[in-house]
Amino acid sequence: MTHLSLKNVSKHFGDFTAVNDFNLDVNKGEFVSFLGPSGCGKTTTLRMIAGFEIPSTGQITINGADITNKAPSQRNVGMVFQSYALFPNMTVAQNIGFGLRIRKEKEADVVDRVKEMLAIINLEKKADSYPYQLSGGQMQRVALGRALAIRPEVLLLDEPLSALDAKIRIALRAEIRGIQQKLGITAIYVTHDQEEALSLSDRIVVMREGEMDQVGTPFQIYNFPTTVFVANFVGTLNNASAEVVDPAKSIIAIDGIQFESAVDLKERKKGDKVRVAIRPERFNFVSQEKKANIVDCRIENITFLGSIVRIQVMIGNSKFYMDTFNNPFLELPKIGDKDQVTCSREAVLVLDE
Amino acid sequence: MNILARIRRIPFWSWIWFILGALYFLLPLYATVNFSLRMERDVIGFKAYVRAFEDPDFLKTFMYSNMLALMTILASIILIVPTAYWIRLRLPEARRVVEFITLLPFVVPAIILVFGLIRIYSSPIKIPFTDTTLLQPLTTFEIGTDILIVAGYVVLGLPYMYRSVDTGMRTVDVRTLTEAAQSLGASWFTIIVKVILPNIRAALLSGALLTFAIVVGEVTLASFLGVPAFGPYLFLLGQHRAYEPAALSFASFLLTWLAMGLIQLFTGGQGQASGAH
Repeated sequence: MTHLSLKNVSKHFGDFTAVNDFNLDVNKGEFVSFLGPSGCGKTTTLRMIAGFEIPSTGQITINGADITNKAPSQRNVGMVFQSYALFPNMTVAQNIGFGLRIRKEKEADVVDRVKEMLAIINLEKKADSYPYQLSGGQMQRVALGRALAIRPEVLLLDEPLSALDAKIRIALRAEIRGIQQKLGITAIYVTHDQEEALSLSDRIVVMREGEMDQVGTPFQIYNFPTTVFVANFVGTLNNASAEVVDPAKSIIAIDGIQFESAVDLKERKKGDKVRVAIRPERFNFVSQEKKANIVDCRIENITFLGSIVRIQVMIGNSKFYMDTFNNPFLELPKIGDKDQVTCSREAVLVLDE
Repeated sequence: MNILARIRRIPFWSWIWFILGALYFLLPLYATVNFSLRMERDVIGFKAYVRAFEDPDFLKTFMYSNMLALMTILASIILIVPTAYWIRLRLPEARRVVEFITLLPFVVPAIILVFGLIRIYSSPIKIPFTDTTLLQPLTTFEIGTDILIVAGYVVLGLPYMYRSVDTGMRTVDVRTLTEAAQSLGASWFTIIVKVILPNIRAALLSGALLTFAIVVGEVTLASFLGVPAFGPYLFLLGQHRAYEPAALSFASFLLTWLAMGLIQLFTGGQGQASGAH
């Protein structure tokens, strides 16, 4: 059932269009991420849901009620900010109870709810601490508890992990997802970090220059990008210009080297220019595994990335990356070696040029 | 590291400049205290202080000036806090204009200000384009004059109060704190009273102290508006007596130091950025 809905929402600042014709229905309890580079309009869209910006056109509804022009304080939307935004003059418990006291809830209920939230965010022992006595991760957990304490209709998170170091970021994102699922709350998460979006979300909205480029599950977004932008932005991707050789058999050629794709190319003509995209991890050396497309290559470079080894190869005149799991017993080729690589038909994505 | 070791690390020339600076400020003060204690020949005593405090006019004018200072501080806070807040939040482009206005008291002397006030408010206030009188001339009755002088003092204190408040707001992320409070359901009034004011407490106290110091010692506005304030009293006393004004001057110094001590006590010696708690 649609819980939050944005219909034809646009936002203009003078001549600049920050968000253009944004349409999205979010179900109750769904976790949706807005993913995109800086300036793509993801934060502006979030701020329109929060009420900090009023859309130039369009409508925003929560549970069917129009909130487009409502003040932020009237929306019952919880927000977690990148900079934590904890009130420095209040303790952790006072911060969490702030929204409830504003709502003039009974003091006993406030105390109970604060205790409940402290247990959820696992900071019971820090109830009387001030924000300056907490670490970044703890502060963001308090901010999350404060936003959830008011039982919001929608939880908005604006790059909440950006200011934290890598290890805490990973731990806290699992915590955020766990709490969201436990409470069954609808959440909108803004990030420019694809790994965060892929690991947290039920659905991802990839945005570019104020427009939605693709909406889908993390699996769809990663494995079946529909535009070159999405393919490039989410994950590492090899892409090269190619030409359709046999539309009926879905065969294309990169620098004359033929690849067979699983993509239906019947609507294209022989000689059509297309773009071919292949994820690095979909390549294998022929000696390791035999698959559909076997092509000659030359090893250009080898980079260790921890658990992964990234190998740069030349196929014809095009540069490609292939990823293989790091294994101390794996015999890696040497730079300059000639070899053969292979990838399945499904790995060969064909996009518009 | 102990204090002695820290002191030893301070360079020689720093000490020289510090001592010269301290002497520049402390010598006149010492001279004033010394002079105020020698009212009786060859006796060091507090006679000048006793005399000064015994004078009924002292208490009357001092209390009156304190009342004016409190009213000025209150009016300044009501005027300046929302203004500085709104400029930080919504009108950053207006900051230059407002800063220019707040600096005007440094350029326009108090004598010009008081003549302007007297000229405008010594005539009845009428509804424009009619002969209907809305209010008698403010200079002709006590409360009216008090309102005028407080308004004048708010203008004189503007540079200090505005800068203190604005600096205080710069150290806390006013915009994000406001948005966080709004998303939790807080009204503008609640945000200012419960979120903004407590976090700029130290800045407000500094601004209030400076305003207090200006108002209690101010002579020009008080003299020309003919109010029984402490500044003109001290001025008159200085023309007729020698020791009592010195005693009162030192007493005002002590009062200022007491106020500064209170600020340190209230803020725990830290700025509001590190958590006003």
